[in-house]
Amino acid sequence: MGIFNVENIEIFSLILFFISFFGLITSKNVIKSIIFVMLIQTSVIMFWLKLGIEGNPTPIPPIIYDPVLLENIEYIADPLPQALTLTAIIIGFAVIAIVITMFNTLDRQYGTADWKKLEEAEGN
Amino acid sequence: MLTFFVIIPILLAVLIFTFSAKTKAIKIIAIVFQSALFAASLYLVGITREADVVTFVGSDDLLGIVLRANSLSAIFVLLTTFIFLAVSIYSYSYRDERDARTFWFLMFLLEASFIGLFLSGDLFNIFVLIEVSTLVTVILTMYDRKNRNIFHGKVFLLTNLVSIQFYLLGLGYIYRITGALDVERVGEVLATLDDRNLLLPYVLIMTSIAFKNTLIPFFSWTPKVRIYPKSPTVVAAVMSGLQAKTSLYLFIRFQEMFAPIAAYEIFLAIGIVTGIFGAVMAICQKDIKMILAYHTISQIGLITVGISLTNGLSHVGGLYHIVSHAMFKTTLFLSAGIISHSYGTSNVYEIRGVMKRMPVIGIATLAAVLGITGAPFFIGSVSKYFISYEVTPLIMAVTVALSFGTIISFIKFSSIFFGHSVLEGSTPKAELCKTIPIAIMGAICFVGGIFGTQLIYFLLRYNVEIQWWSYVQKSLIFLASAGVGYLLYNYVIKGNAALARFGEMNFSFRSICASMGVFMALLLLLMGR
Repeated sequence: MGIFNVENIEIFSLILFFISFFGLITSKNVIKSIIFVMLIQTSVIMFWLKLGIEGNPTPIPPIIYDPVLLENIEYIADPLPQALTLTAIIIGFAVIAIVITMFNTLDRQYGTADWKKLEEAEGN
Repeated sequence: MLTFFVIIPILLAVLIFTFSAKTKAIKIIAIVFQSALFAASLYLVGITREADVVTFVGSDDLLGIVLRANSLSAIFVLLTTFIFLAVSIYSYSYRDERDARTFWFLMFLLEASFIGLFLSGDLFNIFVLIEVSTLVTVILTMYDRKNRNIFHGKVFLLTNLVSIQFYLLGLGYIYRITGALDVERVGEVLATLDDRNLLLPYVLIMTSIAFKNTLIPFFSWTPKVRIYPKSPTVVAAVMSGLQAKTSLYLFIRFQEMFAPIAAYEIFLAIGIVTGIFGAVMAICQKDIKMILAYHTISQIGLITVGISLTNGLSHVGGLYHIVSHAMFKTTLFLSAGIISHSYGTSNVYEIRGVMKRMPVIGIATLAAVLGITGAPFFIGSVSKYFISYEVTPLIMAVTVALSFGTIISFIKFSSIFFGHSVLEGSTPKAELCKTIPIAIMGAICFVGGIFGTQLIYFLLRYNVEIQWWSYVQKSLIFLASAGVGYLLYNYVIKGNAALARFGEMNFSFRSICASMGVFMALLLLLMGR
């Protein structure tokens, strides 16, 4: 597996978090900013997924009913982070949808996706 | 029982959306429902004095959703229901536009999410409710189709989305450390832990909350968006009166939860700088709603100072100032809406003679202005008295400076009351349903000052006393600073071009994100020493 081990998800997620944060600070284009916001969400969700299988070398998904599983209860992955990340994904989807709708309206109005030009167009 | 506080506004929203707001009957039902909710939250404040009220939704162990009301959250619920009651009476006579029912659907959804936020005992639910309220807020501020402000709405939404990711990441660390998301359980576990483990989650969560709170590096974007002159009056009032309080509530809760490492001194300093900066920015504005908006930031700084001071009475003063700020800021925004609608402009230099043109609203607004500046016998004087009670001379000087800034910005605001109105002709008929809530809240600004100690005892369960001699001293300081402020405003500040340019200052999206990173890094450095 090498460095792409499940155990390393946490480090990858934090690296992704800071890369996308850097992207947010530097990108001049609105679309790029939106993409980086989506990336930053993904990184946090990756981090949460790691929490469900922490200290558990062979995690079993907690969705199959099997009496044998109940005997090795310590191998079952923690279902809470999965449920919570699902909620977070849905909320993120809704918010991003609205942001893109707003961007669409602005784009029709001013015909630009540049933060600076939009700011000037708005008079500030 | 607590479930009903969240469900009833949602039911009301659905009811209005289904049966349309065009009939007066629906609006009367809304007012009746809101009054019932207000009465229920008064009852809630009464019973949480004895013990906390806990309601389990689903299973009654730590896995279920918990709603928990203690004496603090009960006050916030009371404020929410009161302001929404006032707002629904205020808008009773609105001429119905095409989309009124969607508007009220969103408004009551917002109320439900605020109440849920105050009552929720689960950290993840708090995240969900913050997101819901942000989303609804943005849609509401852009509701007026003719002059909406999409650009600032988008910046608002995107920056909030980024800041909430910090919260979620911090929450992940909390879950890893404690294995729980229930507020009380997490608090218990955190109290037993080593400080080093708590540092990172604390810094991440506080970055997010300080951003929502519009503390110093993040001050610039809020008024532009939240209470932008273009957003509907009712929304502006709810934003400044309540939405600013949700983040303060979270701030108090998280400071309590992280009590072992909570950085009171750092936030005290941040609060001071925020207060001064907000006041300076408020002085530089020329739009009455913008003055009020920036002034909200200054007051949030003052409240942060109050709740970061660890002696008991300052904390009480900070909490009472939250209540009083909700009262006078809602009054001011509602009346600013009426005034700017009546004059057709919201430029502070063009509006004159409000007292003559609409006396009742003028008097209520004046009461709110006196309350906000901390004039003796008004509500602000009591809360400011307790914030600066038994503090070091330095903090004392700071609070005096803060209220001095408030006084100057409201001397500017007060110029609308007097003078000759440019608009001649008949005064418009005052609408009763708009006047009543403003008059009542204006009266509370006065009554809350006279019966300040009794109100504090009822709301906060603190038996406090005002010593007459020091109260007189504070009043003398107020009078002196009002005099100095009047002279300073008229001879130095008025028409100063440099200041006006300073007031135009604005942050771009990128610099807001950068300031988030800088804030986090600085907090980490200062606390990790």
